[in-house]
Amino acid sequence: MRHARGIHYALLGVVAQNPDGVHGYALKRQCDRILGHFWQLNFGEVYRILDRLSENGLVEEVLADNVSSRKVFRITDRGRQSLDTFILEPPTDAPRPLRQELAVKLLFAGPRQVPELVRLIDAQRDTYMRQLHLLSAQRRKITKLPIDSFVTGLLIDGAELSVRAELAWLEDVGMKLKERFLTPPAMRTGA
Amino acid sequence: MIEFRGVTKIFGSDDTRVTAVNDLTLTIPSGAFWALMGPSGSGKSTVLHLIAGLTPPTSGSVLVEGADVTRMNSAQAAALRRRRIGYVLQAFNLLPFLTAAENVGMPLVLDGIKQAEVDARVDDALAMVNMSHRASHHPTQLSGGEQQRIAIARALVIKPAIVLADEPTGNLDRAGGRAVMDLIQDLNEKTGVTILLVTHDPVFAAFAERVLRLVDGTLVHDTPLGAQEALA
Repeated sequence: MRHARGIHYALLGVVAQNPDGVHGYALKRQCDRILGHFWQLNFGEVYRILDRLSENGLVEEVLADNVSSRKVFRITDRGRQSLDTFILEPPTDAPRPLRQELAVKLLFAGPRQVPELVRLIDAQRDTYMRQLHLLSAQRRKITKLPIDSFVTGLLIDGAELSVRAELAWLEDVGMKLKERFLTPPAMRTGA
Repeated sequence: MIEFRGVTKIFGSDDTRVTAVNDLTLTIPSGAFWALMGPSGSGKSTVLHLIAGLTPPTSGSVLVEGADVTRMNSAQAAALRRRRIGYVLQAFNLLPFLTAAENVGMPLVLDGIKQAEVDARVDDALAMVNMSHRASHHPTQLSGGEQQRIAIARALVIKPAIVLADEPTGNLDRAGGRAVMDLIQDLNEKTGVTILLVTHDPVFAAFAERVLRLVDGTLVHDTPLGAQEALA
């Protein structure tokens, strides 16, 4: 669902870049150019998402001024508002699936898996550090915007605190893994 | 530019032997803003001390702007610190009987710079950290965050090529810490000064464009984050 939501907004964002409206074919091509690295969409998906956005009042059909029967879509005020809100939302939930993957691997970990787990912890830590980096850039960005960023600031605070907790947990997992599997039993503290 | 070439630092001997830095090879380009993280005792502060020539390595060499710090005598190392390296610590280390402006000007006075130039450079440094209005205050009249800004101004007044910041937010609350980090980041972007930040706090480390992780004196991981300006 998270990805579905992300791609809806990605498409809405691309529609928003066409103030005079855009038809499905051009939209698909623009999406490939802008989002190709993250998402690959086929025409069917583009039209399905456009229909959904239209049902929710986020885009509207405009009359094409040529004889072509192609539908042309334009973002509505409501769509723009929804997009603005989405843009300023910190992406708090992005790294969770990795953590779940780590949890599953931990269940079956033995000494031989420790290097692989340490690598996974490092990769996970990188993900969180990048997220903190983005959050801090986002905080700088909103302080420069001429809008009341009080709530966004609070959301960023919350996201930072939760990432900080995840990082502390990873630190703990790393240390305990090494202690459990790589330290001779006589030297273990809590075992 | 800062270069570590196979640097090892061992404290103590025999039973009390502790390897603080273990065969570290690393190049930090000029204008970089990097953070060093790692558990307590992982050798982070020792890395800063080695750059500043405060402690000699057991083996290997450390080059600061091409000059081998490890070959300098103590007077040369002191001159390097006084002229090229600004140091910011967790404890602000401001002299309580001097005003903020006098504290900021201290490194220049020690270097024998004329008073008129000291005054002008102190004004500039205080303006850079937005503390001009506190110039005549004494440290006890300032908040923790303000004292750290004065300490940063004192580091900047020498127009350093490098600022070494060792837990600069350690004594501050989150808002105060963030304000200090915003300032450090601005200075890096506006003046191009190289910044090496040691911190326990991942939120503050993430201000940097690269985060190095040190464990038991060894560089175990490197996370490139990129420049924030490009993201904002």
